[in-house]
Amino acid sequence: MRPERVYVMSGNAFAISDGQGDILVDPHDPIGYFAFDTRFLSHWVLKVDGERLNALSRDDMTYFETRFFLVPGAASHYVDTDVSLIRHRSLDEAFHERIVVLNHSAEPAEFTVRLDIGSDFADTSEIQQPRTRDVSVVADSERRQLRFRYARDRFVRQTVVTSTAPVDVDEGGLTYRIRIEPEGEWITDLHVATHIEGAAGRDLRASLEEHRQHVRHTMREDLQEWLDRAPLLISERPELTAVYRQCLVDLAALRYLPLSKTGFVPVGGLPWGMALYGRDAIITCLQTLAFLPELARATLDTLATLQGDRLDDEHDEEPGKILAELRYGEAAAFGEEPTALYYGAADTTPLFVVLLDEYERWSGDADLVRELRHPARMALDWIDEYGDLTGDGYLRYLTRNDRKGWVNQGWQNSPDAITYADGRIPGLPRATCELQGYAYDAKRRGARLAREFWGEPEYADRLEREAAELKRRFNNDFWLPQAEYYALALEPDGTPVDALSSNMGHLLWSGIVEEERARALAAHLVGPDLFSGWGVRTFAAGQHRYNPVGSHLGAVWPSDNALIVAGLRNYRRDAEAARIASGIFDMACTLGGSVPELIAGYEREVTKYPIQLPAAGRPQAWSSGGLLMLLATLLGLRPSGENLLVSPVLPAGFGRIELLDIPGRWGHSDAYGRDRGNLRARRPRMR
Amino acid sequence: MGTTAAEQLLALTPERRPEIPETLNGTLRLDAYEDGWTQHWYLTVTDQHVEFSRSADEADLVLRAHRTVFDRMAAGQLRASAAMLRNDLTVAGDMRLFVVFRRIFPGPAGARHPREAARQLAADPSTGRDGRR
Repeated sequence: MRPERVYVMSGNAFAISDGQGDILVDPHDPIGYFAFDTRFLSHWVLKVDGERLNALSRDDMTYFETRFFLVPGAASHYVDTDVSLIRHRSLDEAFHERIVVLNHSAEPAEFTVRLDIGSDFADTSEIQQPRTRDVSVVADSERRQLRFRYARDRFVRQTVVTSTAPVDVDEGGLTYRIRIEPEGEWITDLHVATHIEGAAGRDLRASLEEHRQHVRHTMREDLQEWLDRAPLLISERPELTAVYRQCLVDLAALRYLPLSKTGFVPVGGLPWGMALYGRDAIITCLQTLAFLPELARATLDTLATLQGDRLDDEHDEEPGKILAELRYGEAAAFGEEPTALYYGAADTTPLFVVLLDEYERWSGDADLVRELRHPARMALDWIDEYGDLTGDGYLRYLTRNDRKGWVNQGWQNSPDAITYADGRIPGLPRATCELQGYAYDAKRRGARLAREFWGEPEYADRLEREAAELKRRFNNDFWLPQAEYYALALEPDGTPVDALSSNMGHLLWSGIVEEERARALAAHLVGPDLFSGWGVRTFAAGQHRYNPVGSHLGAVWPSDNALIVAGLRNYRRDAEAARIASGIFDMACTLGGSVPELIAGYEREVTKYPIQLPAAGRPQAWSSGGLLMLLATLLGLRPSGENLLVSPVLPAGFGRIELLDIPGRWGHSDAYGRDRGNLRARRPRMR
Repeated sequence: MGTTAAEQLLALTPERRPEIPETLNGTLRLDAYEDGWTQHWYLTVTDQHVEFSRSADEADLVLRAHRTVFDRMAAGQLRASAAMLRNDLTVAGDMRLFVVFRRIFPGPAGARHPREAARQLAADPSTGRDGRR
């Protein structure tokens, strides 16, 4: 078993420790306190009289606050202990820990409390093998402070640990020699400030009291307000409301304010994706428009500000392209990774236009559509000018960074994800099928925006003609008539790559599928090769490279399934939609807690329990968002003019649900639904 | 086009710049320091036009760097975002205008259009296949 991990998080900062609250470097996990892609604490170990501590229990109060209840020594002999400790950790823009030592005996007691502290300033990209850095350490007992500093040219990172209680400080940590009266307690607060020079002059040495005020009042209030702004779910199934609430809390936890200050946007997720990813952010926003549309506005603004504007091979950048990944660490700053604005994604740009249109349909925010006309036009131009790499009219990708670029630049971005059924790997540049769906959708939606908001009817006509032509050609060139599904991709010469994948569902979502083919696609999606019982696998079983634990070769992704279910409902395949959604909800309810990014593709009948994968982090923005989208899709929520349409198809066992105060251009609206099982039970059949 | 930032800014012509969003209006000041003195370059952005002057007036966005850092950015050798992360460039004010700063300077020399990269790969399939991730 993997060791227990406990996290607190806030924005793109997070601290992961073991079950006792200690931080010890592990090459397999990003353990430590991180902010802006830098590890500011790599060692943080508490001892009493030389002994490590054991956890009696823990209270994970919120995503930014945890309390550990601890006793010294090994599990075998702590029962009679006269001393216990409470370690109360919280995170906002700094890391804070209150240590309380309690003397339970009738005699005064003396203890040596020691905290070993270290900072390696590792970049998030080098967790497996952090390089040795020349870190200068200043032990300042008088100011009760231990300071770590790392500098490379003008790039400077500092960690400043300050204690409220008097303390002996040495370069390896803090030592308290304390005496506690009978039934008494001793307290110290530890404040760990991170100091970044080089990111718009951020200086985060907020005062200790400010921090506590901030965590206790501002952050708790902020979380409550966030929950209050979202619709209220009322369900007969308590586990359903628990999943719903957890998703909202996860999305609150995974927001951060980028340096452009364009509003809070979602990061990918814990532990590896605590940064802005264009794809994850856009999909998350699309999933959550019925719940928390503020995310979409900030994300559109932010991505527009960071839109590509030049040709740059290293960063796979072209004018008009929407960001793939944004990092702030040392590796990005010095070009060791191309991630200080990396653009290696072929789907983010059309999806940006899709989100802008969809956001307007829900919110009625025409001002933003007008304000973002320029970036949206640049994005639409990009599709044909830079996305069509062989001139055949299809959106393709090919990295120009041979060293560090992503080979696959769709959502299935592991290196071997795009393959023939027999395992052969196709050539590059590749045109994966879902990209064509997104491009089609972007053009149709761009046409609506051009006609209704930008006053460009001729441009709108052109986009619609192009979309229609793309749909016609796509349905010829990608369709495999014998197998009755669309090829996963086209080779550079147009040869179809014949693998069966979950991307069929994305095609339904985008609307590029011919009406009469939807039935066959739906049958594949719920067929035994793709559907595991928990959800649709990324890649169908029975094909050469199928692997139930392969991220994009057989695993099940809730975010993927959310788009699939929405696609099925677009084509009125309601029974299949309900079946898949039901599997994903069962998975989330069975696991409890935050929805993981993916689970193994094993047959549900065989494992009975969803198998989690070490590679799958949680919480993940687009998994939490995915469950919300599934809920909205099952209720059939859809904006139509100034109204919200509701058309529920709830799977059996859902009972009655109500979703109240759905925000949008209609103000607030309610939706109700009841599963068919109940309907049948209540209404006797005729005849 | 000149090779230094100053030369490039001086050579800015008054024509419309379609790469700048029409909704983006404001002022930028570039403070280029070197050997104890600072040059102030001032950019006024109105309706996709950029006007250059020398002025130390207040601006909506102020960018500060060593003169050589601006020169390297003007030559397409250094990305503004990387310079910022390295603390070689500090930025204060309305970050939306950062787009203007990025778009008045060219990208790296020798960068390829994706179609050109695709053509090169088709001609010599041994290149370009072995990305890391």
